[in-house]
Amino acid sequence: MSLKLFRRSLWVYHLNSGSCNGCDIEVLNIFTPYHDVERLGIKLVASPRHADVIVFTGPITRETLPKAIRAFFAVPEPKAVVAVGSCACGGGIWYDSYAVIGGIEAFYRILENYYKIRLPLTVYVPGCPPKPEAIIYGIAVLRGVLKQKQRKTYFLEKEVPALTRDFIVNLEKYMKQEGGINIGKK
Amino acid sequence: MKTPRIDIFKEALKTGVVTKKYPFEPVEAPEGFRGKPSIDFEKCIGCEACVNICPPNALSVEIDTKRGIKRVMLFLGRCIFCGRCQDVCPTEAIKLSREFELSSLNSKDLYQIVELKMAKCKICGRYYATVRQILFTAKNVPKDQRPLLLLCDECRSKVSAKHISYARW
Repeated sequence: MSLKLFRRSLWVYHLNSGSCNGCDIEVLNIFTPYHDVERLGIKLVASPRHADVIVFTGPITRETLPKAIRAFFAVPEPKAVVAVGSCACGGGIWYDSYAVIGGIEAFYRILENYYKIRLPLTVYVPGCPPKPEAIIYGIAVLRGVLKQKQRKTYFLEKEVPALTRDFIVNLEKYMKQEGGINIGKK
Repeated sequence: MKTPRIDIFKEALKTGVVTKKYPFEPVEAPEGFRGKPSIDFEKCIGCEACVNICPPNALSVEIDTKRGIKRVMLFLGRCIFCGRCQDVCPTEAIKLSREFELSSLNSKDLYQIVELKMAKCKICGRYYATVRQILFTAKNVPKDQRPLLLLCDECRSKVSAKHISYARW
């Protein structure tokens, strides 16, 4: 699913919702001549009312929650959200702090419970802080320019050898026979 | 001193274009960059060393006592890419690659899950460790001590205490 709503330039409002400034510096980095995302029509705006996309950096703290909600509702529909950094994605290293509500998902839970809204399209950009290219890649995924590489991986161990007294004592012999048990081989 | 503006233009033309064409051309991260950690499923023994050391608890473990399965989960949305898990892993199962393109439209794509089967204690019948961990430990244990690995911690201490007391009397 990519955004077909935004055929033209994306205007971005950057909101620091309790970040340590690491991700903010990386967001500023992509506007320097070296990465220059203004060639792609991405522009930083000063007011959320002018923006198409709202960029969250940092976890949502208790102090910034009302401000974040106000800024979120000030962005006109249709909108998209970019969560930059591990803190915005899932709470980061502060996930269990008393002053932190959590990542963008905890924020959405509050919005769903109290305001009953449809959630916008969200891009998660993990990294601590993410490389400037990683943020550009996230926006490219949002626009549908590049495909998403990251997928959930799942592994279930199927067969295990039966642990008997004979097996574990003569482990070396069995390992030579079967050749299947290479656990911990470097 | 006043610089004529024409000199600035000359300087700029000499330098050329520095802007990268990133989303349309691939870029490689430099050597030693700490990117996406990935678990090698064949090597992981479920010893929980990485779970203990992980500062933001991006790695977590669950034990399913009904099915006898240990589930090690890595959530990239909380990982701070410090590389400690790579340092402590005894089997080099978890490694940080140079990959940085991790963005996803769904936070469920940021999970890596490994499920390993556990062994039952021969005396009390409780699930206590993964089969792979027991086999890994057994390599470094002398042969006459190995049957003790088939017991859980409590039963093992009881049995070994019994051995000691017999030896004394």
